[in-house]
Amino acid sequence: MKDAPRQSCQIIAPDAYPQMLSRQNAARASETLRSAQTALKAQAAMEAQVPAMRTAILGYAEELENARGDMALVFEKAHEIRGFAETAGLVTTGRIADILCRYMDDMERIKKPVDAMIVALNVAAIARAARTEDGDVAVGEKVAAELAALVARRLADANQA
Amino acid sequence: MLGACERPETPMTGAGFETLKALIVEDNAHMRSLLRALLNSVGIREIAEAGNGQSALALLRERKSDLVLSDLAMKPMDGLEFTRRVRNDEHSPNPFVPIIMITGHTEKYRVQAARDAGVTEFLAKPITAHNLFSRITEIVERTRAFVRCDNYFGPDRRRHQLDDYAGPWRRQDDFQQEVDVR
Repeated sequence: MKDAPRQSCQIIAPDAYPQMLSRQNAARASETLRSAQTALKAQAAMEAQVPAMRTAILGYAEELENARGDMALVFEKAHEIRGFAETAGLVTTGRIADILCRYMDDMERIKKPVDAMIVALNVAAIARAARTEDGDVAVGEKVAAELAALVARRLADANQA
Repeated sequence: MLGACERPETPMTGAGFETLKALIVEDNAHMRSLLRALLNSVGIREIAEAGNGQSALALLRERKSDLVLSDLAMKPMDGLEFTRRVRNDEHSPNPFVPIIMITGHTEKYRVQAARDAGVTEFLAKPITAHNLFSRITEIVERTRAFVRCDNYFGPDRRRHQLDDYAGPWRRQDDFQQEVDVR
């Protein structure tokens, strides 16, 4: 095997630059990070954020619906939703937003225009899931699975074209 | 710049976290609030916030930061450029500061771009406490060497050392030249 071109390089060992914590504190910090007490505190902290996050997601969903035709804005809002929908307990909403973001990202990478119908279907599904997910998980999951399959087919077609 | 540090009343953990100063760089206010709450829960109390990379650089110059959590996609300066500036700017206040890149953009090429910019850890959204804490644990327990090459400065991107690795070698003096920068 032929070696790659070599370049000069300097290694700075961990002991040779300032660390975030001293060794003694690092051991205690590890215990804190792994402790059940910390996990409980963190869970409570996250739960306290959920109502505000859900309100925000509903706002993003509305902006998403109103962004028709502005694909940059659609991507931006879908990206915001996928960022914390699941953290707010809206798993299906986050999943569909992820499907849409990946679709738009992949189409951009292969330099093909997005299919407006695919985008519209996903946008409608995201908005519906955000508003109804708590009482309608089964339908949301089925819709997400169908959309994932549809997007996968369209991406395969686009890659072959 | 959003700036101001807050010191909420959180219990002392005795783990040194209460002395740490963290910086959250994120354009979404809800995500900033969530990250702040999670850092508070391990005892980190001094937390500053910035809405993009440019504001974060200004904050870093104003106050010491021991840990940075940064989003990737922000305007006018994104998390990648921010990381590159922290690592490489001549006047960077702390080029060794641990940076955890937190993003919903989990495509492989973006993860590689973050790694090559010099991030310490990469965390995919949606965030969970477990995932965030595991990245901080990684920083605490497995401190990595820094590498300075012609085209890269940052944490060693090779996570594993294989005892029987036979090349190809890409560095002239692989692990031969060690320096102390303290």
